[in-house]
Amino acid sequence: MIRRALVLAVLAATVPAAFLAAPAGAASTRTLHGTFKITAGSCATSSVTGSWFRMVYPGGSVANGKFFDNPDSECTTDKSYTLIVPGTQGGLVTGTYQPVPSPAFNSQGGALANGIIQPQSFTGIDFSISTNKVDPQSDQKVPAPSIKQSGGNLTGQVTAISAAWNKLYFNQGSPKPGGSTPGLTEKLSGTYYAKTGAYTLTWASAIVGGPFNGFTGVWHLEGTFARKR
Amino acid sequence: MSSNTDAAGRALRPGPAHRWPLVVVLAVGIGLAAAPVAFDMFSKAPKGAVMIADFRPYMTPSRLAGYQHELAEIDAGVKQTDTSVADYLDGAGGRRQFNATYSDFAAFARQWPAIDSKMTELMDQVQGNLGNYRAVAALPSFRLFPWFFVIPGLLVAATALAVLLQPSCWRAGRWILIVLGVGLVVAPAVFQMFGRAPEGGRMIAAFKTIETTENVQQIQGYFGSMAVGQGAVRLEIVPALEKRGLSETRTSAQFPAVTQLDADWVHILNDMTPMIGAMSDNVPNYQAVASLPPFPLFPWFFVIPGVLVAGLALGAGTRTVGAPAEPTALSEMSTNQSTLSKGAS
Repeated sequence: MIRRALVLAVLAATVPAAFLAAPAGAASTRTLHGTFKITAGSCATSSVTGSWFRMVYPGGSVANGKFFDNPDSECTTDKSYTLIVPGTQGGLVTGTYQPVPSPAFNSQGGALANGIIQPQSFTGIDFSISTNKVDPQSDQKVPAPSIKQSGGNLTGQVTAISAAWNKLYFNQGSPKPGGSTPGLTEKLSGTYYAKTGAYTLTWASAIVGGPFNGFTGVWHLEGTFARKR
Repeated sequence: MSSNTDAAGRALRPGPAHRWPLVVVLAVGIGLAAAPVAFDMFSKAPKGAVMIADFRPYMTPSRLAGYQHELAEIDAGVKQTDTSVADYLDGAGGRRQFNATYSDFAAFARQWPAIDSKMTELMDQVQGNLGNYRAVAALPSFRLFPWFFVIPGLLVAATALAVLLQPSCWRAGRWILIVLGVGLVVAPAVFQMFGRAPEGGRMIAAFKTIETTENVQQIQGYFGSMAVGQGAVRLEIVPALEKRGLSETRTSAQFPAVTQLDADWVHILNDMTPMIGAMSDNVPNYQAVASLPPFPLFPWFFVIPGVLVAGLALGAGTRTVGAPAEPTALSEMSTNQSTLSKGAS
């Protein structure tokens, strides 16, 4: 009787623990629905902090460039960084679209979308980004951004991201509409710290078509994730 | 026996005196119909149509003159900054100090002569081909090109085949072939292809050095340099002039070329960027069109088959052949066979 009670006690103590302890490398994957709130970029220190955008010349590499210098960059030591400032919606919202407004441009060709980021001057003309059900450049239907976290790492797709500048659109998603990853396009990756919601997101997207055909946009967003309530 | 029947009671109808001209006509028709497949026209010609349409907004005298004017404006702005503005802003360190302080502009000013020369040459080339472009654009749509071969080709082949199988329909078939042949000869003249196709050929030849990935990337690079150079003028040099006590009005009066470039920069970007986009987007389209047979040959692709078809139809001659007076399906088949074997002998 005592032996049976002991066995039951040992089982009661060990079985739940065995189920609760997840084996290494089998972290649960969870889709993050909400807003990836953007921390504005800054060049106040010697290195760039916060969120930024760069553009690689054709033939260059994401790691080493050559990068396109934006004369309007606030980073005087390296004008290839265009700093990103959060828009009226705080940042990138997953699971839904943050479409381009109507009109999309001012009379000078400056982009007016200001939900995700505030328009930033690029060679004298404002550029901005939006996410749309139909990609304005390729005219293809694209899914709303979707980002998952697993073990502190972020993966997913931001195919719908479209940059607008000078009355032109450039898809800046990864993967590209249709699911391809041409040229230097790099899949979205990042980190996520669940306790604080702090995140980083990075991806690269080759520009296909238009005046910047062959260039690649490199995006780095960081900030805090706010779950959808 | 009446005068229009033979001894066997078959109706006498005119047929071709020789079969071989019709066999050649059949081959010409098949060749004409197959030419677009052989030359991959169904995929290449629509690309040509896209290229012609994409270039249309830029290929106007005013737009092309505008680009030349903008290049001249940048040139004047750069030269004025590099001379009188630099002199004005030179500190005790002289020109060396100016170049060090405004290093982005100094770097651009060194690159500008080569950029200006290349861009002006390119615009001269494009402007020089405006007439050729217009001639090509005035041709029927490139999308229709393959069908200009397929439709007459199939009609010629079908008519020739029908006459070969049914010599008694030679009279009508002959007229159809003559009309088709004459149509093929006349069509290039109607569409003014003799003048326009060589002009198109000249445009294709002239764009050979323009519509390449390397050239487009070079222009994209120039765009980057120009943006940096103008940015230095806009964000560093003009503010420096203001700091030295020059009001906007005085800056404008003293350095009009710099002020003009600064004021017009966005317009220049609005104007030039889409053109670079059109150039870039059409590299594969141009290459598809350039790989078609030479444009000046195109009229002859119609004229030569047309002359052959009409000439052979005329030259095939006519002789009387028999057909059953009251044909039945079976008797008609046997009559045709005997007629064919007679013709062959």
